[in-house]
Order: sequence, then structure tokens, then C-alpha cells
Amino acid sequence: MAVKVKYLERPHLTNKERIFFIDFINGMKITIKNFFRKTITTAYPYEKLTPPKRFRGTHGHRVKDGKEPPSFKVLEKFLEINEGESRCVACYMCQQACPVPELFKIEAEQLPNGKKRLKRFDMNLLNCMYCGLCTEACPVDCIIMTDEYETASYTRANCVIHLDDMVERAKDYDRRRYNEPDRIWIDDTERSKLWGQIKWSNN
Amino acid sequence: MELLGVIVGISIKALIFIIGMFLGAAYLTWIERKFAGHIQQRPGPLHVGYHGLLQPIADALKVLTKEDLVPDGVDKFLFYLASLMAFVPAIMILAVVPFGEGFNLFGFEIKPYITDLNIALILALAFGSISIYGVIFAGWASNSKYPMIGGLRKAAVLIGYEVALGFAMVGPVMQAGSFSLKEIVEAQSSYWFIIPNILGFVVILFAILAETGRTPFDVQEAEAELVSGYNTEYTAMKFGLFPLAEWYVATFVLSAITVILFFGGWQPFPLLGWLPIPSIVWFFIKVFALFMFFLWVHWTLPRYRVDQITELAWKIMLPLALANIFIVALWVIVIG
Repeated sequence: MAVKVKYLERPHLTNKERIFFIDFINGMKITIKNFFRKTITTAYPYEKLTPPKRFRGTHGHRVKDGKEPPSFKVLEKFLEINEGESRCVACYMCQQACPVPELFKIEAEQLPNGKKRLKRFDMNLLNCMYCGLCTEACPVDCIIMTDEYETASYTRANCVIHLDDMVERAKDYDRRRYNEPDRIWIDDTERSKLWGQIKWSNN
Repeated sequence: MELLGVIVGISIKALIFIIGMFLGAAYLTWIERKFAGHIQQRPGPLHVGYHGLLQPIADALKVLTKEDLVPDGVDKFLFYLASLMAFVPAIMILAVVPFGEGFNLFGFEIKPYITDLNIALILALAFGSISIYGVIFAGWASNSKYPMIGGLRKAAVLIGYEVALGFAMVGPVMQAGSFSLKEIVEAQSSYWFIIPNILGFVVILFAILAETGRTPFDVQEAEAELVSGYNTEYTAMKFGLFPLAEWYVATFVLSAITVILFFGGWQPFPLLGWLPIPSIVWFFIKVFALFMFFLWVHWTLPRYRVDQITELAWKIMLPLALANIFIVALWVIVIG
């Protein structure tokens, strides 16, 4: 297989452009314009941006609070879950969906009355790639991903999250953002101002 | 006794110049970082002190206390020599740069320059060229491929722009009839030498950008291609001296020489001579404006290839410099 070589002509400059460095001047006009514009950075540790609602941050566990999807009503009678506890039904779907299943440590036991109860739900986030497949697999909308993104820690032990802190995290997240409309872009008006309107097809 | 007084006076003056240049260069880094930041719509250093004003001091402390590594295979003598060789001649040019007219302070006559040699311009050119040896030696002594390529590139470019630089400086010298920078300034009291020398000014802009390794011609350190070019193997203050010498001291000093040659040195702006501004302030206003122009070019333009630079130097800039000499010769004959 021979390599195809494509020769390109240099862009032709007129004499005026060549003598007065028109290209240089245009470039320098752009930089000086930028110099007088406002900066677009965030002074991070002092100023924090709130990510969009669909952001995939640290995981949380939603609790049983009456907002469950219908599928939970079906499974509920087999489980011993009190109001305000994690609504996890220990179906292991999240572990099945996970690309790195060993990062989950889920355990459930059978109580003497025959019902199932969640004993342990640990996630080793050192192995997590934050793909969000576990949240999609969850049948009762229990495991979610919150908007917390500061996950750095001094010890490896601190990178494993447990049932109780996941419940707290989801409670906090829902308190802040449960009713927020779910949009990918949070500043549509500004975007359309900058780059124009989008257009749907008319049926 | 008189000799002792002269020696003490000159030593104090030299110390003031050197310390001033060190502090000045440190704060020029701050100016450059702020300028570069705002051109890219970010604020630059912001955290240490008010708007990052103490950042240069923090940087200096850091760079001075870093471990000074010397790699195993280097040519030790040249390796140590190179960083000094880049820095010392660059700062020595200051000896001949006059910053203003002499003035009286508490009954003493103070001259804001160290010496007024009759070959000042040639001395400045010579020191500027010696300073480039630092880069070439650093590239050679590092015994590593990227520094080597960086040093060779600098050597290749050097041959082109040094010729143009030398010829571009001839015009003002012809008009003033002297190599002394002080006399060149004094000859510009009626009009600035930029008027017939506009071509020479263009050439000298090109040559200074090439000599100080600023962006359109920064082939010797081309960080996208050569890691960091000639200073890849350097650490701590030995490393710190290179950018300090090239980007700040050399740019500043060569801006000063350009201002002296083409923009009337410490002469006030036309029509603004009545303002109560001392000559030294006029001089620094002009030098600072030119320095900012170099920064502006640096943070705007992409890099040329080595062959393009040499082509530009030999085929365009050298003929322009020669044409400039011709024009100035006619000007001197016709106007005087």
C-alpha cells in the first residue's frame, strides 16, 4: 500500500500583507482585545462552581421517604426497611453493571421473620471510574451520583465509602437539588447568544 | 584620595545598578506573567500578596533553596560556566547604558550611568553576543539530545540575526557620528532618529526578538518540540539564571539600547517637553513601552522554523538593514 502524498500550496500573500505584516497585526489585535476582557477563571479553593445536576460525583444512597418508583412497592414487602433508611433492596444489579465489580462489597442477611435486610454496602472508590452504570442499573432509584467532586484524601482507607455516609450524602444532595429541573446545559440563553439558536425539525 | 573617591563612587553605583536590575528583573517576571495571563483571559499570579505582588520573591526563595542537581555525564566546567555566561554579560551591558542626564542632589552631581565609553555600542553588542555563548555551551555541556539540538539551533539562528542587528545599529551611529550612547542621545535633541531609520527599527525589533529567544524565534527552547531546549538538564538557580538573563535582563537592556538609538533616549516626547518630568522617568517610560511591546509579540505569535528564521534574516532583514544604511547616508548628505 503506497502512501499518498498530498502537496498543499502555501496561502498566497499579497504584497501589501507581506510588507506591512498584516497577519501579525491582526493577531496582535486579537490578543490586546482579550487583554482588556474580563477573566473567565474561578479562584478555585475560594470559589467553587456547582456542577450541573447530571454531574457524576461521589455516590449516595437515597432513603425510603415515599418518593420511590413503583417497582419499590413490589419489592418492599420482602424487605425489612424502616422510614429514613436506605431503600437498597440488595439486588446486586449495580455490581452486575459495574465494569469493576470487585469495588462493591454488598451483604444482606435473612431475618428470623423471613425478610431480607441490607447489612453492608461499601464501595472502594479507588477503583471507581465514575461511569454511572450502577445508577442506571438500580431498579429502585437508590444509588445515585451526587455533585460532590472533591474526593481527594490523605489515606487509602478514606477512599472507601460506606452505607451511612452514602445515605447522608444523598439526603444532602436531595435537600439541595431534588426539585431542580434536569438540564444538561445550565445556561442555554447565554449559549444561544454566543453561538446562535438550535433548530428542531418540524414534523 | 581622589582616585579612592572615584572607586568608591563607581562601586556604589554599580552595586545599585546590579541590585536594581535583579529586583527589576524579578518584577518583570511578575509583569510578564500578569500580561500573559490576561492575554489568555486568566488573572495570572493572584495568591501571594496583593494580586500576586510577592510572587517573584516567593519564586526566588524557592529556586534558591531547590536541590542543585548536576547530571552524571555532563561536562562539569562548561555546565557551571554556561549559566553564568548567559547572565553576567547580559547584566554587564548595563555598565554603558545611560539612564538619564546628570542631575544635582544635595550638592553632588549624580550621573545615572556607570561609564560613558566612546565605544559603548560596540561593547553592548559584544556582551550581547557573549551572552549567547551561554546558551550554546549549555546545550553542548548537558550531554543530552534535546539541549544539544536547542544549542545548535541557537547557533544556526545566531549567525543570521547578529549580522542584521549590527548593520541596523549603523544608521543612528552615522547620524550622531559617535558610538557613545550618551552622545547619540544628545544628538537627538531636535528630532528622533526613528525618522530616517524606520527600516533599521524593524530589523532591530526582529533581531532583539531572536536574540532574547522570544516567541516567534524561540527555537532554542521550543517547549513543544525540545522539552525545554538548552536548559532541560539544569536545576535550581543555575536554571533560574537562563530565563532571567534572556527574557528579562537582555530584553530590558536591549530595549534600552533601542530606545537610545531610535527614540531619543531620555529626551521627552515631542510637544511634551514642558512637563516637569525628570529625564530618567522619560527614559523608563519609553523602555517599559518597548518591553511591553516585546511581551505582546511574544504572547501572540506562533514559532518560526529554524530555516524560516535564517531565510528571513539573510534574505529580508540584512538587505533591509543595508537599505537603511543607504537611506541614512543620503539623509546625512542632504539634510546634515
